[in-house]
Amino acid sequence: MPGALEMSESLIGRSVNRHHFPEKLTGDAKYSADLIMPGMLHAAILRSPHPHANILSIDTSKAEKLAGVKAVITPFNIPSGRLAVDLFILDTRVRFVGDEVAAVAAVDPDIARKAIDLLDVRYEILPFILDPDEALSKDAIKIHENGNLAIPEPINLERGDIEKGLIEADEIFEDSYYIPAHSAAALEPRAALAYWDNGHLTIWKSTRGVHVERISLSNALKIPTENIRIVGPFLGGGFGNKDETRLGAISAVLAQKADRPVRLEYSREEEFVAGRTRHASYIDLKIGFKLDGTITAIHGVATLNSGAYQASTPQMSRRTGQCMLYLYSCPNVKYESYPAYTNCPTAGSYRALGAPQGHFALETLMDRVAEYLGIDPVEFRKKNHVKIEGQPGRRTSPDDQIIDSQPVEGGVPFSSNELGQCLVKGAEAFDWVNRRKSNGSNDESKKYGSGVAIMIYRGGPGYPTGAEVRVNKSGEITVICGLMDVGEGMTTVLSQMCAEVLGVEYADVSTLFGDTESTPDAPITSGSTATFSAGTAVIRASTIIKDSLLALAGTALESEISDLVLENGYISVKTDPDRRMTVKEVASLMTNDYISSISTVDPGSTEYIVNSFGAHFVNVEVDTYTGNVNILKYVAAHDSGVIINPQLSLNQVEGGISQMLGLALSEELVTDRNTGVTLNGSYLEHKCPTILDYPEIQVIFADSVDPVGPMGAKALGEVPSVGVGAAVANAVYDAIGIRFNSLPISPDKIIRALYT
Amino acid sequence: MNTSLSEYPSSSVNLIVNEQAHQLSVRDHWTLLDVLRDVLELTGSKRGCDRGECGSCTVLLDGVPVYSCQILALQSQGKTVITIEGLSQNGVMTALQQAFLDNDGGQCGYCTPGFVISSLALLRDNPNPTDKEICDALSGNICRCNAYGRIIESVRSASGRN
Ligand code: FES
Ligand code: FES
Repeated sequence: MPGALEMSESLIGRSVNRHHFPEKLTGDAKYSADLIMPGMLHAAILRSPHPHANILSIDTSKAEKLAGVKAVITPFNIPSGRLAVDLFILDTRVRFVGDEVAAVAAVDPDIARKAIDLLDVRYEILPFILDPDEALSKDAIKIHENGNLAIPEPINLERGDIEKGLIEADEIFEDSYYIPAHSAAALEPRAALAYWDNGHLTIWKSTRGVHVERISLSNALKIPTENIRIVGPFLGGGFGNKDETRLGAISAVLAQKADRPVRLEYSREEEFVAGRTRHASYIDLKIGFKLDGTITAIHGVATLNSGAYQASTPQMSRRTGQCMLYLYSCPNVKYESYPAYTNCPTAGSYRALGAPQGHFALETLMDRVAEYLGIDPVEFRKKNHVKIEGQPGRRTSPDDQIIDSQPVEGGVPFSSNELGQCLVKGAEAFDWVNRRKSNGSNDESKKYGSGVAIMIYRGGPGYPTGAEVRVNKSGEITVICGLMDVGEGMTTVLSQMCAEVLGVEYADVSTLFGDTESTPDAPITSGSTATFSAGTAVIRASTIIKDSLLALAGTALESEISDLVLENGYISVKTDPDRRMTVKEVASLMTNDYISSISTVDPGSTEYIVNSFGAHFVNVEVDTYTGNVNILKYVAAHDSGVIINPQLSLNQVEGGISQMLGLALSEELVTDRNTGVTLNGSYLEHKCPTILDYPEIQVIFADSVDPVGPMGAKALGEVPSVGVGAAVANAVYDAIGIRFNSLPISPDKIIRALYT
Repeated sequence: MNTSLSEYPSSSVNLIVNEQAHQLSVRDHWTLLDVLRDVLELTGSKRGCDRGECGSCTVLLDGVPVYSCQILALQSQGKTVITIEGLSQNGVMTALQQAFLDNDGGQCGYCTPGFVISSLALLRDNPNPTDKEICDALSGNICRCNAYGRIIESVRSASGRN
């Protein structure tokens, strides 16, 4: 691909190099754990050895006497502020093995760790629960005071009449599915550096959203937001996962107590155990269909393991069901969700939240329906996938309301929907019709099969997002946005959009991101909304700046503004192109130091649903002697609207697929049933894919221009990761005739299924 | 890092890092990575795991790529260390680094220093590696962004084959 990238006049669709990559390549880029301040202390955390216990007392005297220890905090000696509904800075109840008990700051890490060992804690050990069904039973011990349902009410969403749909069906297929917890395992363990100056707190930390964290810390520490500055240095992998933990609060309180800067770094094991995992999910799914291949009813019930705290469970519980409600045209659908607190490590937000779980259940059961009907799985999906007109039924939300990107109601069209094109182009590239059942050799031990899965994911409206575009007297252009670049390249794409509007080169635009002090309010970088929300804001702000520049130039060039054009770095008179000025020259005419425009948008549409789509095709080789699954070929076709930067997008899709092949084939974070201890909190044992596991992946982008997306774009960050497990499971079935209803499809499961 | 050494057994160690000679007092249990990051403040080498699993701390020790988190500082006595900071000269990136940039061989960049160092050693010993040789040489480095496809492409392009 690279090298073959077309050079167009337009910056849109051009593969400019990733923003800030040079610093990362030379080791100059500073991540949170790389920051050093004079007098800085090092922190360490004491974590619970028990899955569920009350802390009766903590004797800190020995630790405090150790030379070099500057602060010790426990739930008994700090104010009890709330970071989230169910999360205190520190708590007298611990709820999983690895939960935070106390913390220490000392002059070096050796002493901090030694001091932790000197803390003497008395626990009252409580019964513990690891299974969400058990947690929701009547007599279960309450993990939080309001009980074990991790959201206020179960989720219960219905379109049409599910009972009617099931009665109308000629056949009903149903099955139960399980997707385990696994860890986002970002390569950078969480880290923070906190520093107080005159009642003002500054924290540099691994974060996906500086503004949101500021609000949470302001509530917990009971100080006004103006007195808190949160800065996000480079982030070593986010995947939606950072932070939701106590990291920032603990470092802040330690720094306050010690009256010195404090740096806190999670170890790799802490990152696995006390970071945030994907929710282990049980899904019961029912599909009613007619013998002509029409689907009459889809009913999903999810029981989700939230672990010890709520974190992103409300959003995740909802997102798990979206594909059941919306991926297939169906008048009668219902989705219920029961997320439960347990004494497992906390589940939180991790790439696409519940969507991979939902798609795994839906897309494998649909495969069975197609097989039963004797219809090719690709043809079955072509017939039944939701089309551009959306779902049957009536719109129930008010006409002037922005349509949620995860709707339930029918009667609303998509702004764009090229899922059909993804299926056609993907199948063609994969050569689905002639897919191989063997490699031609006589090796009996190897079986071959192919599978397909389609996917839907929110592609548009997020939370209100602000962006500022600024041009100073020297003509320097800066895009300022409160979002974080979590590694996916958002700053690159936003710079491209700004440069395109202002008719300058990509290199002329610099960016300022992830700092509450200098950026407008923005949500977390999540839910694949950054390109859409921030992109829309950047384009709006850039357009206003462009108008200001044209006005300045109009005076200087003695021309009507409508007679001017801005392109290739020049503002010129249309009829007399020799009368022109560079953007720099025009900027020098401004009376103030700079001109700036801030645009806050709540993007979306009152008429359309904005969603992204994809279709994945995979060919596998299953070794029936070892149980090993080898991915031979993977084709991913995506509709994410206009692709702003093909090279970054390619990387994003390949990376998403490869990461989720981990969940499909090898990854699981295992909690010991008898003790609640995490058994495999390491890269070696959690089995994240390495470069040796990387298959050949072919990525295709559908021709698609979204009419409401910024420059026609839709989201891309998460959609590639949602259908991977299902596509692989369907291919494994095709190879060996065994349906796996749980992930990962690891060698031991295959061997057990084949030989017992 | 505070280097008051009273409580912990410590020793003096001489080593050359990125062509600069250092004589340092180090605690005996400190790793080479501890010393690079916390004493010399060369933070380009990352602490992704501190247990020999991820490769983000990879440096060249007398020319051999090693996990610096698995080498005691004392073991590097008298040796030469090259870290990611020692690659570019006068702010100009090497051809290998440029190949990573042009081929988008990374995303968040946390694994990048380790991959660059491992690739450097590979291409020095084997200027025209096959894909299999590239993957074998880089199999000790984890990229959790899974930018493996672009990393392979970067090394291919730096090796002059494409
Ligand atoms: S930090 Fe050394 S191998 Fe991971
Ligand atoms: S680029 Fe993020 S870990 Fe490799």
